[in-house]
Amino acid sequence: MRKRYIQAPGRSDEASGLRFLRKADAVDLFFVGYGLLIVVLVAASYAAGVFRLLPYDPEAVNLGLMLAPPGTAGHLLGTDFMGRDLLSRLILGIQAYFLPGLLAVAVAIVPGAALGVLAGYGAGRADRVITWFSNLVDSFPRLVLILLVVAAFKPDIYFIMVVVGLTNVPATVSLVKVKIRFLREKNFIEAAEGLGLPRRTIVLKHILWHHCRASLIIRATLGMGEAILMETSLSYLGFGVQEPTPSWGNMVQSGANYFLQGNFWPSTVPALAILLSILGFHLLGDGLNNLLERKAVH
Amino acid sequence: MNLKGVKPVARVLAREVAVTAFLLLGVSAVVFGILYLAPGDPFSLLLEGQTSAGAPGQGVREALGVPKAWHVQYLSWLAGMFRGNFGASIRTGLPVLEEISRVGLNTLLLTLGSMAVTLLVAVPIALYAAVRGVNRVSFPLTMAAYVVSSLPVFWFGYVVIYLFLHTFGLFPVASGGSQGTNRLYLLLPIVVLGLGNGTLSEVIRHLREEMGRVLSEDYVRTARAKGASVWKHAFKEGFLIPVTEIVASKIPFILGGAVIVEQVFNWPGMGRMAWQAAQDRDFPVIMGIAVLAAVFVRAGSLLQRFVYIAVNPGASRETVERRAA
Repeated sequence: MRKRYIQAPGRSDEASGLRFLRKADAVDLFFVGYGLLIVVLVAASYAAGVFRLLPYDPEAVNLGLMLAPPGTAGHLLGTDFMGRDLLSRLILGIQAYFLPGLLAVAVAIVPGAALGVLAGYGAGRADRVITWFSNLVDSFPRLVLILLVVAAFKPDIYFIMVVVGLTNVPATVSLVKVKIRFLREKNFIEAAEGLGLPRRTIVLKHILWHHCRASLIIRATLGMGEAILMETSLSYLGFGVQEPTPSWGNMVQSGANYFLQGNFWPSTVPALAILLSILGFHLLGDGLNNLLERKAVH
Repeated sequence: MNLKGVKPVARVLAREVAVTAFLLLGVSAVVFGILYLAPGDPFSLLLEGQTSAGAPGQGVREALGVPKAWHVQYLSWLAGMFRGNFGASIRTGLPVLEEISRVGLNTLLLTLGSMAVTLLVAVPIALYAAVRGVNRVSFPLTMAAYVVSSLPVFWFGYVVIYLFLHTFGLFPVASGGSQGTNRLYLLLPIVVLGLGNGTLSEVIRHLREEMGRVLSEDYVRTARAKGASVWKHAFKEGFLIPVTEIVASKIPFILGGAVIVEQVFNWPGMGRMAWQAAQDRDFPVIMGIAVLAAVFVRAGSLLQRFVYIAVNPGASRETVERRAA
């Protein structure tokens, strides 16, 4: 273990990583725990899909059992208007957003961080060009931009999610840029430069890894929440995942016709799933924010 | 005090306007670029099943006066827009601008109204939480705001319709554009979008943090010590600026939410039109809507800059940008 010559008063070396957990708010821990539960459920959905653990075939039509209320004949959450098992469709519907959502997050974070570094370090012109580009992207309402792309290319959900990711790039750029502007004047960066460390090491290790990691992870969880909302909204509008492949969005849509007649569950079940998942990713981001950022302050 | 760095307000404002114009030019280029790269063209959809492939389609293109070279296409579209001519819908043949302005007012009403609803709900909660901190009242309210902003608005809308239709028997649902129906019906989508556009919790958080920060500033403490009005001193920096900031930055989200809410409530607006145009590959319509929506967004952020500069005339471009970042 490396020896520390200067120690902050009142702070012991041992278990400093866990100290902040002990001090943390129960609320924050609950947030993070709930968010992680959602993540586990996502993983479980893939396991269920791969190992054929779904209670029913999600696309099997059963016209004898249409719009069955929850709990009938082994259908835990009931059936939809074609007699398809809602629970199975719900579980499989996770897969409609998860990988596309990850793609959107990756597109938002990776080039965003790179451009942010360029804007933060590159003086003058690079910064101005990137800021202009960010403002340009921010000028479009996201859904309108996506409708434009839909009109032009009739794209699949992955293509759409790349666009969603691109619209999130400016947020990452400004986050990293502001961080770098702030850190550049700090002693340790000057010291690193004085020691002759290559720019690459300073940027990747000292700035991005040590100081932007937390905020980028938080952005990613929030981005995931947004991606879920985007995918379900588009599938609801009929531009995302197409029937008969289940997505929570098109499940709400197809159930909505029966909602006003009093058959609530076919659209309410996926709607609540959307609600709980988005909430999960948002709370995860918020809880992480409070835990990690507070730790950074102390 | 060094006043050399302070630019005249008029010059700063002129610069903001110029930047906005330049950005809108970029928007038009992006819109055109995306549709120019699109495989095939909407004419093929129009002619589907009517002609054999190939040559006749070419004839239609020439008859409608579609130029070949991309820069000619772009420039003629751009020049047309400056003269108020956004082209004609491929589907219906009606002029785009008139069609949009026919329904655009509905969308404007919907978005501005729902923004007001969001603020009406968010501001009291945020201010209360900023002043009193986390307590038994503010915590449940903030949590409720979290849950509400995670609600999928396309389901929330149906719930509200159902409640009002069956429980209260109040509104003519799905009345569409026919005026003279119950005025209150107009409020329904506005309230739904205002609560469910997903920005509620962010507005609360932003306002709470900014107000909380300002309340602990020295000048507010001095005001408090003197017995002067804390609210008056904290108003500009703690309330006016954060509100305009968050409203301006959330306009795109609210416009996006409008697309969905208009679909749910059968509300005749730009959102439904954009949806229809995307379905039909009606390029001139979707181009017009995208450009106008961007104008709306830019106008909002221009307004935010104006407010910021009005509050703090010494703001040079540097600081404006830092706040925006």
